[in-house]
Amino acid sequence: MKNISEQVLKRIKKDNIRPKPRWYFLTKNYFIWSMFGISVILGSFAFSMILFIIKQLDWDIYHYLGDSFLKTVFISLPYLWLIFLILFIGVAYYNFIHTKRGYRFKFISILLISLVISVTLGSVLYSNGFSENLGNIFFEKIPYYNRLVYTCEKQWMQPERDLLAGTIMEIELPENNFILKDLNNNKWKIRANKAIWKGKLTPTPGLKIKLIGKLMDDNTFEATEIRPWQGQGQFIKGKNW
Amino acid sequence: MVTTEECIKKTDEQLVFLTLKNQEYYLCLMKRYENKLLNYILKISNLNKEDAEDILQEVFIKVYQNLNDYDPNLKFSSWIYRITHNTTISIFRKKNVQPQSVSWDNEELINILESTYNVEKDTIRQLTYEQILSIINRLPLKYKEILILKFIENKDYKEISDILHKPLGTIATLINRAKKSLKQELFKEGIKL
Repeated sequence: MKNISEQVLKRIKKDNIRPKPRWYFLTKNYFIWSMFGISVILGSFAFSMILFIIKQLDWDIYHYLGDSFLKTVFISLPYLWLIFLILFIGVAYYNFIHTKRGYRFKFISILLISLVISVTLGSVLYSNGFSENLGNIFFEKIPYYNRLVYTCEKQWMQPERDLLAGTIMEIELPENNFILKDLNNNKWKIRANKAIWKGKLTPTPGLKIKLIGKLMDDNTFEATEIRPWQGQGQFIKGKNW
Repeated sequence: MVTTEECIKKTDEQLVFLTLKNQEYYLCLMKRYENKLLNYILKISNLNKEDAEDILQEVFIKVYQNLNDYDPNLKFSSWIYRITHNTTISIFRKKNVQPQSVSWDNEELINILESTYNVEKDTIRQLTYEQILSIINRLPLKYKEILILKFIENKDYKEISDILHKPLGTIATLINRAKKSLKQELFKEGIKL
């Protein structure tokens, strides 16, 4: 047998081989942990957007759309953000198992750790209004974003399916009929004398609302129920939601 | 020059620390692991001895270059076996080596069967050396290497977990599956356990 150890030591000396410096490994380790952290944070952004989109939709109006509840859920799920969430959780998992002790954890444990952090942080971001701001930025700055997500706007701008949304322009007293500018800037005559105003709304110009009713002709809509733009009009803690 | 006596008194972890200051101490570490690692390479790879020695040289160079990455909370032996395992598998896969009957001695093969199933040596001795070798080599690599680490290298579950970079639960599962797989192969040879 060759004397391998002595040969190796000679080669180390001859080729002037040196141990890689400690900072190299520390940097590598910090990089992996940072990538894990960034992935989890991006995952939490995705989760907050999922929450925002789900919460802004009205889930009680599926019968107006003539669809089953399951079909409505299938159409409305924020697939784009779900894909991002899965992607970031995957990247977080990949980085975690490459940390020094990552291999000691089971696949399912790492997945749950990443998911729980993303869900918790995402919920905090949602409750702070972060996801609403982020959603607005995406709508304004990212081309075709509005085509990729099923939003409250898409849900309510379906006059042919008896749903409409927009801002009150003028009010005709005493019946409270009004002129509405919809979300596509088209003007509508709204018959609202038989409508139920949910959430203790006071009809005033500039008020953004959602309407359930019946399409009469190209620019006339008879409202049966009017809701504030945000929420379904339930009265909670002194606020109209 | 570092003397043999100096080496014997030192632990692996102390030698790592000393090697980072004086490379002569690395000889002590290498000599301590030379035979163990060469045998391990031969068993998991089925390479011939010359190729295995070349791998071992690569392993020692890699270990030296990565000494600053060694975490003293782990056993040094687990760490060096991990690097040996990775280097061997990587080269083994590149070369796509066919099995060769040079890596095992008869007693080792008998020991692996005996300690796995607590069967009488006499039962196993009914099999020829070639039969036992053929049985072990028919096992998938993941089962073969775990049986080698457990029953030939006598590593505990935590050490195997640190060497193969798998969770403890997975190690237990793999050992059970490896035993079952071995049992099936023995059954094919007419040995009932």
